[in-house]
Amino acid sequence: MAERVAIVGIGQTYHRSNRKDVNQQEMVAEAVKAAAADAEMNVKDVEAYFTANMETFEGIYLPDHLMAAEMGAYMKPGFKTGTGGTSGASVFEEGFCFVASGLFDTALVIGFEKQDTGDTTAAITASVTPVWGKGIATGAIGEFAKQALTYMQNSGAEERHAAMVRLKADKGACRNPYSHLKLGLKTVDEILNSGYLVWPLRLLDFCPQSCGACALILASEKRAKKITKKPVWVADVISMHQEPFRAGSFGDPTGTEEYSQDLAAEKMYKRNGITDVRRDICMAEIYEPSNWEEMNLYEHFHFCEKNEGWKLVEKGITEMEGEFPVNPSGGVIATNPIGATPTIRIAEAALQVRGDAGEHQVTRDVKTALATALGGPNWTVMTLLKRSL
Amino acid sequence: MTTEKKPSQEFIKIEYAQPRTYLWSSGRYLGRLYKEAMDNKKLVTNRCPKCKELIWPPSAVCGRCKVEAGEDWVEMSDKGTVIQYTYLVFPLWDPHYGEKWANPYPTATIKLDNGVYMVHHLEEKDPEKLKSVKRVQAVWKEEGQGRGLGDILYFRTIEE
Repeated sequence: MAERVAIVGIGQTYHRSNRKDVNQQEMVAEAVKAAAADAEMNVKDVEAYFTANMETFEGIYLPDHLMAAEMGAYMKPGFKTGTGGTSGASVFEEGFCFVASGLFDTALVIGFEKQDTGDTTAAITASVTPVWGKGIATGAIGEFAKQALTYMQNSGAEERHAAMVRLKADKGACRNPYSHLKLGLKTVDEILNSGYLVWPLRLLDFCPQSCGACALILASEKRAKKITKKPVWVADVISMHQEPFRAGSFGDPTGTEEYSQDLAAEKMYKRNGITDVRRDICMAEIYEPSNWEEMNLYEHFHFCEKNEGWKLVEKGITEMEGEFPVNPSGGVIATNPIGATPTIRIAEAALQVRGDAGEHQVTRDVKTALATALGGPNWTVMTLLKRSL
Repeated sequence: MTTEKKPSQEFIKIEYAQPRTYLWSSGRYLGRLYKEAMDNKKLVTNRCPKCKELIWPPSAVCGRCKVEAGEDWVEMSDKGTVIQYTYLVFPLWDPHYGEKWANPYPTATIKLDNGVYMVHHLEEKDPEKLKSVKRVQAVWKEEGQGRGLGDILYFRTIEE
C-alpha cells in the first residue's frame, strides 16, 4: 500500500513581464520561501527537491546547479525535469511518486521561468525537430492559431465566445494578487478589436511571456498531519504523452485523431469513480494557452459533450460563481511563466480546496479539484486533489 | 637628462567570423526521404508491417504497434488537400540568424493523397483567396539542397 501524500505548503512569486531586479535563483528563492512560510517549516527539513524549467528559453544550461542554496537543495537528493509545457506538473508527479513510495517523507517541487531573458517564441521555433519541421514553425502561436480555426469551423463557436472566455480570465486575474496581466477588460469588443498575431488568433487571445516561480511542499500522511491543519490530499496523478507528428498539434481538423487528454481523463475518472465530471469534481485549473483552446479542452476533459465547450461559456457555467468554475485564478492566458505554469495550476487548485484563494475563491464549496497541464503535441498531466481522502 | 618614451608593444587584432553551426544527423529512415527528395524530387515513406499504415515521417518504429517498421518503402503523391492554414501577422525573429522571419508564405496542414499529413507553405498569399484553396501540389526547388521537405519551395493551387 502506497503512502498517502498531501500538499502542505504553497508559494508563488508575483508574476511579471520583467524581473530585472532579481536573477533566476533569487526569483526561485522567493517562491521557496513563501512555500516554507505557508507550511511553517524550514526548508532544511525538506528531504528532496524536484524542479522544472525550459533551459533553452533562458539559455542557461543546468540552472538548478546555480540555485542549490536558494532551493534548500544543497547536498540533498533531487533533479530537474523537462517534458516541455508539462514540466511543472511532471515534477509534481515525481515528488508525489517519491513520497508515495515511502522513500522520502517530504519533497519540494518547484517550477520557474524568467522570460525577460530571451525570446521564447524564437526558442520554440528554433528547437522544433531540426531535420523535420525547421523553417515552417511559428512557435506555439502558429499551432494554436490552427487550433482556433479548427474549433471555429467544427464546433459552431463564434469569436464572441472566445472573447467571453478572455473576459472571464481577466476578471479572475484582476482578483488574483499574483497574476501577470490585469487588463480590466469590460467588453467583448475590446478583445475582438485587438490585432492579429497569427491569423485568426488575436493579441488578447493568447498568453503572455511571464517571469515567475511556484513551489509546493509535499508530505506523507504522518508528516502532513503534524505540519498543517489543512492538508490538500493528492488523490491521483496521471500523465500521457503522444507522438509528435499528427494532423494538428493541438486542434484536430480531421476529427479522427486520438487525444492524450481524452485517454488520460477516461482513465483517471474511471479509477476514481468519477461518472459525472461537473458533479463529482468541484472546479478545475486547466492549462489553456489560448481562449479557443480552453473551450476545446472542456470537451477533451469531458466537462461537456463534443462541440459544446462554447455552450458552457455562454451559460456562464465556468465563471467563478458558476456551477463548475474553471481557472478562477485568471489562468495561463493571464500568467505564463512556462516552467511554473502547471505548478501554479496545482497550487491554485489546492488553494481553492483549502478555501484560501481569497478574492478569487469560487462560490461552490471545493471538496475536489482538478489541475491539468498541456505541452508538446497534446501531452497531458492531470492531478486530482481532495480535502479528505 | 632627457627621458625617451619607452616604446609600447603593438597589438595586432585580426577579426574574423567563424560560424559554429550544428550538424544534425537525419538518420537512416529520414535520410532516405532526404535523399529521394534531393536526387529525384520524390516523397517516400515506410509502411508498418503489422498495421500496414504509412509511418510519417519515415521512422524505425511504428508508435502504435510498437514493432520495428522495416523497409517497406512507398512513393507518395506530392498532391494533396489543404485542411487547415494560418498566416503570420506579428514580426517573428529567426533566432539562428537574428533576422526577421523571411518566409512570407502562409503555413498549411496538407493531407497528401496517400493519407499522411504534412505541414508546409502555400504559394497563395491573398487572405481572401486562401479561403477557397483546396487542391495543391508541391513545387520543388530547382536544385535539390538536401533539406528534406525544405527542398519543396511551397504548394501551388491546382485545378482538377
